[in-house]
Amino acid sequence: MRFDSIIIGGGIAGMTCAIRCAEKGLSCAVISSGMSALHFASGSIDLLGRFPSDSVVTNPFDQMPDFINHNPEHPYARCGEKAIADSLQYFTDQLQQQSLQLCNNGRQNHFHLTTYGTLTPTYLSQKSVYSPELEKAFFENQKMALISFEGFRDFHVPLISANLPGQTLFQNRQVTTGTVDLSPLIRSQKNPHEFRSIDISRMLETDEDLQKIADHINELAGDAGIIGLPACLGFIHHASVYEKLQRLVGRPVYEIPTLPPSILGMRLDHALKTRFSNLGGVFIAGDKVVRGEMQSGKLSGVYTENHGKTLLKAGSVVLASGSFFSGGLISDSAGIREPVFNLDLTYEKDRKQWARGLFFQPESHQFLEFGVKTNEQLNPFDSSGHLIDNLYCAGAILAGYNPIREGSGGGVAISTGYTAAEMIIGRTASTGAARP
Amino acid sequence: MKRVETDVVIIGGGVTGAGTFRDCLIRGIPAVLVEKNDLASGTTGRNHGLLHSGARYAVKDSASAVECIGENRILKKIARHCIEDTGGLFVALDDDDPAYGDRLIVSCRSAGIACREIAHQEALRIEPNLNPRIVRAFTVPDATIDPFRLVSANVLDARERGGQVYTHTRVNQIMTGPEGVTGVQCQNRLTGETFEIRARVVVNASGVWGEKVCRAAGIEMKMFPSKGSLIIFDYRVNRVVVNACRMPADADIFVPGDTVSLIGTTSRKIAYEDIDIAEVDEEEIAVLLEGAERLVPNVSRTRLLRAYCGVRPLISLKKGEVDGRSISRGIVLVDHEMRDGLKGLISIAGGKLMTYRLMAEKTTDLICRKLDRTDTCTTSQLPLPGSETKGKLTTRRNQFKGISASVIGSTQYRHGERVHQILKSDRKHDGLICECEMVTAGEVEYALQHLNVEDIVDLRRRTRLGMGPCQGALCACRATSFFVELKKMSGEKANQMLVDFIEERWKGIKPILWGDALREAEFSYWIHQGLISKKKKLEKPDEV
Repeated sequence: MRFDSIIIGGGIAGMTCAIRCAEKGLSCAVISSGMSALHFASGSIDLLGRFPSDSVVTNPFDQMPDFINHNPEHPYARCGEKAIADSLQYFTDQLQQQSLQLCNNGRQNHFHLTTYGTLTPTYLSQKSVYSPELEKAFFENQKMALISFEGFRDFHVPLISANLPGQTLFQNRQVTTGTVDLSPLIRSQKNPHEFRSIDISRMLETDEDLQKIADHINELAGDAGIIGLPACLGFIHHASVYEKLQRLVGRPVYEIPTLPPSILGMRLDHALKTRFSNLGGVFIAGDKVVRGEMQSGKLSGVYTENHGKTLLKAGSVVLASGSFFSGGLISDSAGIREPVFNLDLTYEKDRKQWARGLFFQPESHQFLEFGVKTNEQLNPFDSSGHLIDNLYCAGAILAGYNPIREGSGGGVAISTGYTAAEMIIGRTASTGAARP
Repeated sequence: MKRVETDVVIIGGGVTGAGTFRDCLIRGIPAVLVEKNDLASGTTGRNHGLLHSGARYAVKDSASAVECIGENRILKKIARHCIEDTGGLFVALDDDDPAYGDRLIVSCRSAGIACREIAHQEALRIEPNLNPRIVRAFTVPDATIDPFRLVSANVLDARERGGQVYTHTRVNQIMTGPEGVTGVQCQNRLTGETFEIRARVVVNASGVWGEKVCRAAGIEMKMFPSKGSLIIFDYRVNRVVVNACRMPADADIFVPGDTVSLIGTTSRKIAYEDIDIAEVDEEEIAVLLEGAERLVPNVSRTRLLRAYCGVRPLISLKKGEVDGRSISRGIVLVDHEMRDGLKGLISIAGGKLMTYRLMAEKTTDLICRKLDRTDTCTTSQLPLPGSETKGKLTTRRNQFKGISASVIGSTQYRHGERVHQILKSDRKHDGLICECEMVTAGEVEYALQHLNVEDIVDLRRRTRLGMGPCQGALCACRATSFFVELKKMSGEKANQMLVDFIEERWKGIKPILWGDALREAEFSYWIHQGLISKKKKLEKPDEV
């Protein structure tokens, strides 16, 4: 098997890269070893949310030149301002093709409510979480309702409503709360692990149930002008569920992220995979790349667990296997390594420095910034320091940034995935390897 | 100022204090328990959780061995739901002194401990993960005991008999008059409220903190704190308690417990002023891992869950002792009337987790003499709440319709017969709040209402919530909501409580932060800082 590009990792970085390559006519395979980290994500795309001082960034694009200047090794510096902006637009357009609409607040960040009832800045959100229309409705209505489902343990109304008064945007608001009992609508026997956001989403995708649930919500919401619900308003058919529900309750509804599994993240995951497959890409699920094959300084392909001795040949390879959580980086008491190619890493050798004394220390933890060292074209180096110029790295495996402290995880994944794709498209065009 | 009247005040909510509290109430003596932190939050909850057979001590200290086997038999009857009767093995490897096994057999026989040599192939059949280099093996009646459950059940029984408990309450002063002690002056650390408890007898059952308590009465009683560290593995890699068959040393006991296994301990002298800030250090981690791998080699590929340490309350009997030469490792009961001329003050220290009942009996006997009472001790006969029924606990699962067997099993495992007060099969109560440890909403509600729970750390000790592989990454947020709902906690307090809980978990993760522990920490950080956007609050200084 030979592909123009093989992408290792089916997360947000890998899929953005894969879609861009496939769209440009490259034969492309994604090898994904497990569930995407999107299942645990908020489903909004952070670009640059916080300054090192922890204060909120209002306009991430205005800050970007300065930010890149101060952080020359940051993945954003590898991409450059233009590619960052282009990639986010591209990402939005591609998801739009799959009826998943992402909204932004012009060039500014907006806030979304968290599972905890606090506010966090982000750049792109799904239409049911943030849209200019929702923002308008939010400011026009002092009375709001916060409604959940009886026994749904990943969303807690008492906790959220206890925290809301502490948020500037929610001061002096009247919040009505309530829970809808779904028991009469549950047909199948449940086990104690069921009744998650995905189970509720499926119920809401049934028109008959949706009508009954909407009636309950309507009753509980009283005269509130806007209704907040846990993010489980449909999975595959979320767009129509959202429209129907708003019509049935006769007022704007918005979704608040839940604890994982995150339907908002799963929608992104599903849309990305469908888009890639619609473009003719090959998605190899449940397989793991074990090593690469080098030929005169270049990577000629990769071996996987399931393909055994069969070499999957590739013109270019992208490593987007994530950080520790996803297995892109592996640590033991002696140090850290990248398990597929044994790439050169940037990390602190003294293990005592990996983390801080307090978990919530404002400076955050050093281990979050560890990762693969690359040149400006996102090419990594092998363990003896030799550049591998047809291997590219994207997303959380990259060194030099702290996705959580900066509020930059989604933005880095998309912009580096996109930039890696642009590099591959460039080189494939110049060598004439692209297929019609 | 509020004033509470009673006969006996017990300072310290560890297992010794809880046992004494229960013994008093069973004998009809009005008593109040005061604990500066939470029940079982000190040394009691920071050890192996081993129900010794006494074999570990038999060769070196036969008096302790006799004490252990006696209490071992009693606790297996009265605290059944806190105990797993796993059995134990002593295993000698090819580089151990083979003669130690012969001494073990002889010493156990004279202490009355059933110890039998078995073929080493038989030991490998019982415990397949054992080091194949094993050359001799012996079975002993070791078992495991959950210290949190044990303390909770003792306190629950005492409360149901009319005893009062004040947790998160510090004793500021021991009040005295011409007739000796008259009571204690306390302060609730959560509300700041100060109050007095008037009593004729004050029992200092505060373990290693006893030196400070004595100081509050103007008495000097020196402690020689010894730190013991342990590592928890995230899987239950062994079925029975595994002891290294040699003289007691570091890292020589491997204990299965609930869903995990533990290796311990070390023994390191520390300065008294460090007892509240003791941490597991790198050298201890290395010693513990080496000891664990020696007994069960495949633990080197097992995820480490956390490391923790406790401080043993070794006490000096002599006044003016400075070098610790007269340290006693046995049970130490001090009548301060005899020792220091202060009537009404008693200190109880030393001993072991599993000899708590005997310590409580001796203490309560002395309390009776002080109060001119003749009531005798019956705690060796009376089962703890949850352990009332004889026979296997697992036989009545069919009484709970519509609840999964694993939920019933876990709840019953933790609360024994009290499972009937906890499990409700309605949507509000049967949802799992902690999926690692199968803790339902109903169990959380029960603990908040009946088991002296003030925060999530307390809740963890009562239910195991947050003790599993995810170390609270998901359940902490869920649990927080119950405090808002049932305890009417404000958003601000709830945030601080959540932060404190995660920081408490972090202390144990930090020393072993690599491999899967690091993966999990990254996930937890995403969840709390990313998804939930939990912003940092300043840690509240830990008072003593």
